[in-house]
Order: sequence, then C-alpha cells, then structure tokens
Amino acid sequence: MIQYFSEVFGAFFAILKGMSVTFKTMLKPSITVQYPTEKLVPFSGFRGALLFDAETCISCNQCVKACPSYCIQLENAVNETGKKVAKVAWYSIDFGKCNFCRLCEESCPTKPKAVWHSKDYELTFFRRDEMVRCWKKGFDFVGLYWDRATKDFRKPEGQVQIQTTQERFQY
Amino acid sequence: MSNSPAAPELKSDQLFVNLGPQHPSTHGVLRVGLTIEGEIVVKAVPDIGYLHRGTEKLAELRGYHHCVVISDRWDYLSAMNNNLMFCLAAEKLLKVEVPERAQHLRVAMCELNRIASHLLFFGTFGIDMGAFTAFLHAFREREMVLDLFEMSCGARLTYNYIRLAGVMKDVPDAWVARCREFLEFFKPRLKEYDELLSFNPIFLDRTKGVGAISKAAAVDWGLSGPNLRASGVDYDARKSEPYSGYEKYDFDVPLGGDGDCWDRYYCRVREMHESIKIVEQALAKLQPGPILGKGVAKVPKPVPGEAYVHVEGARGDLGCYLVSDGNMAPYRMHIRAPSFINLAILQEMLVGERMSDVIAILGSIDIVLGEVDR
Repeated sequence: MIQYFSEVFGAFFAILKGMSVTFKTMLKPSITVQYPTEKLVPFSGFRGALLFDAETCISCNQCVKACPSYCIQLENAVNETGKKVAKVAWYSIDFGKCNFCRLCEESCPTKPKAVWHSKDYELTFFRRDEMVRCWKKGFDFVGLYWDRATKDFRKPEGQVQIQTTQERFQY
Repeated sequence: MSNSPAAPELKSDQLFVNLGPQHPSTHGVLRVGLTIEGEIVVKAVPDIGYLHRGTEKLAELRGYHHCVVISDRWDYLSAMNNNLMFCLAAEKLLKVEVPERAQHLRVAMCELNRIASHLLFFGTFGIDMGAFTAFLHAFREREMVLDLFEMSCGARLTYNYIRLAGVMKDVPDAWVARCREFLEFFKPRLKEYDELLSFNPIFLDRTKGVGAISKAAAVDWGLSGPNLRASGVDYDARKSEPYSGYEKYDFDVPLGGDGDCWDRYYCRVREMHESIKIVEQALAKLQPGPILGKGVAKVPKPVPGEAYVHVEGARGDLGCYLVSDGNMAPYRMHIRAPSFINLAILQEMLVGERMSDVIAILGSIDIVLGEVDR
C-alpha cells in the first residue's frame, strides 16, 4: 500500500519535473518557421539544384567524368566546316539521378564555374520529363526541360525564389 | 524450426504477427515475423533486404572519389563516419598522408555527427516509449548540428565532406565560433534530457531490466558500439586502435552494467557528453594549414593490394575491406555494417519477451536500415 502510493507520487513529481522543462522552453521565442509561407535561406555554399552557363562552358567533359551517377550528358558544338569547337551544343543534367555531391562543380576548370550549385532546395517534379534539365546557347542558367508530349522546351516550375525567402534564425 | 520469415505452422494457441515493414518504430523498412503465445514472443525472425541497393557491387564500377558519395548512403544518420571509414581505407591503399588540420576537422565533424545521430536516437526512442516532448527537444539541437554541416559542406544529410587525403573545404572562422556557441548551448540541455526522460519513473519502468544482454552473449553475437558497451565490455575502436589522431584526445568510454534497454539508452546519452569534450579539444587544436594532402590523382589507381580499416561509428564498429587490382575502381569492397550485425541478436533476444517490449528492444538497438541492407 505504502509502496503503491510512493510510486504514484514519484511518477507525479517526475511529470512536474518534466513539465518544468517544457514551461521553461515555452517562454523562449519560437524556432520553427511556417514553411510554405516563410522560407529560410541556406548558407552560402549550399548544394542545391545545379545551374549551368552554356556561354562559359568549354565542353571539356570533366564534369561528365566526375559525376558518380553519370547524370550529365553533353555534346560538342561544331563550326560551319564540321570541326569541333570548345562550346557545347547542348548540355543536360538528369536531376532524377543527381546526388548533389558537388564533384562536378569542383572539377569544372573554367572561371567562373560553368556548372554550379544554387541555393534552390525546392526541386519538385510532377512528371519524369521535368527531371532532365537541358541547356543550350541562349537559355538561362535554370535551363528548360523537353516535353515529350508537346515536343518543345518548357520552363520548369517549382523553383524557389531565394530573393523572397527570409534570413536564417540565429540562436 | 526453419528460419524463414514467412508464417510458420502454428500451434492452436499461437499467433503470427508481422511487425513492419512499414511500422514507424522500425525506423525504416524492417519486417520482424513474430510468433506470439498470448503476450509472450516465442519466435522472432527479422526479415531484411527491403532497402537493398547493391552499393558494394556498385562501388566496383566507380572510382575512389565516387565511392565517397556512395558511402554517404549507408548509414545516412552518421554519414561523416562512413566517409571517414572509406577514406581511411582508400588512403591506406594509396599510401597518402593527411594534413594535421584536416585530421582535426575530421574528428570534429565525426563527433558532431555522433551527437546528431545519438540525438535522433534519443528523440525516436522517446517516441517509441510514448514520450513525445523529448523528440522535439532533440530535434531542435540536431537542427543546429545540421546547420553547422550545411555551413561547412553545403549538405545536411549526405555530406561527402571527408575526401581522400583531406576534407572538401576549409571551415570559416564563423563556423568555429558557431560550433563553440552550439556546444555551450548543448551542455545544459543534456541535464534537461535527464529530467525529461532518463530518470522518469514511467520511462524507467518500460526500459529497466527489459531485453538484457549478458556480456558473453554480446561478445558472441559480435555486437559493437554502445550496444556492446552497455553490457559492460570496454571496447572502443577510438581507444583500442586509434585513427585520425584519436590517441591525442582525452575522453572516457561510458560503460553500462546490465545491458538492458535503459543501459543502452543511457550509454548513448553519456557518449554525447564525451563527444562534446572531443569536439572542444579538436577546435582548440585547429591550426591554420593545408586541408588537402598531396599525392591523390584525379582518378586514383592504387597499387594492387588490400586494406581493412575500422572506425567507431555512431552505431558501432564500422569496417571497410577494400581490394585493389590496380584499376580505377576497387576490385572488391566489403562493409562491416554494425547495424546489420547488431540486428542479428534480435532473434535470440526477443524470445520470451512481452509483445509490448519488442518495440523498446528494437528501438534501443538503434538500427539504420540503409546500413543493414546497403
């Protein structure tokens, strides 16, 4: 009988002790953000979705060899006489395979880098066509994807606008 | 009795229960085929392989730099330790030196990762036991560690930070300051954890004396890491076979007594204390210098030979056996995955336990299915 009540009181005081930690934390400012409406900016050097600059690229194939999942493909451009030049005709990254490991960016010999990681962490795809991003001369850094149904290049949806995101909370 | 996970022939008062593969407390895709007699488990057969990706075979087709990326995907909760383990093995084959700054950075990162991994265990084990608050507290701190990783290498889970003969990139001074800030923030939190969960009578009732592993059984089944140390066996690869300069660090190896669920839990909590000490020492030792050693080609081709390296991962003794035949890819890679070996004891341990304790035991073993199935 005595043991029963001492156990009950013991559990009761343990709950009070635990709740005191909860109450202490309750008075501190919130550290969560309401995600779809508030977005955080990653630190510089974040490995987000890859961007590509077709003007800078010298088509040296280093990134193709550096990629562990073989998700990069490219083709040399040729001039009027049919000779290869140090430019890409097209360049594509399959984001369905990409590991986001930065080996391609590190291997890129050009300055500035022709392929690099953005801070975009919201890579969403609704169809498989959207996963393969393609770049050609005149395309912007984000690139376009080839829609097999309509047979034309389309702009990818679901890219995060880093400008509209908010600063990271400091502890 | 056959060891098949399929439903066996049952006696009239027995019942076959599938735990998983989608059960939340298996922390992944593990199926345990349980035969129960009333409340008591009479047979338990873990069924693994749902997450098998064939990464050991995959490594035979990839270069050594690529394999570091693959190593992130085994134990994704402490990927730094996996990176380190593979890099140490490859460095042994390539016979390259690692600069001192890189060594200290590696140690700091690995210990931070151990903290993050144990915090996740702490949180999820609390949830398994019905204590939800501890989870939120643990994830708040884990978030800070992941922020530190994001700052240093740009990723939050699959780091690819530790590279052959060094690390990916140097950390800024702001990182060191932020890391110290985190450690100062974290120390008093550990006391709160004890109040919240460790010495809560309800939690003690559910874990004390449940699923005890004797010293002999722990050694027989080849357990390692906190599971082994909770049984009172003093074995830690950081002490017995120091790597990456662990011999220069001053830390203790926490040991348990009975080897029950609570001991395994508290062993990990105390390991977080030790990890804080190691990170502090590593930060104090950081001197300016190179972070990447010389002598690693873009496509390394080590001389034919073999190397075995084991490190103390967050879940136990993590080993990598590499065979090189002189080509750009390893001829054979084998991983000694601690989760896989720790999981094996379940079939003996669960027998005779109550159905409601199965989750406590499974949670306290702390497996990561990415590593079990590889």
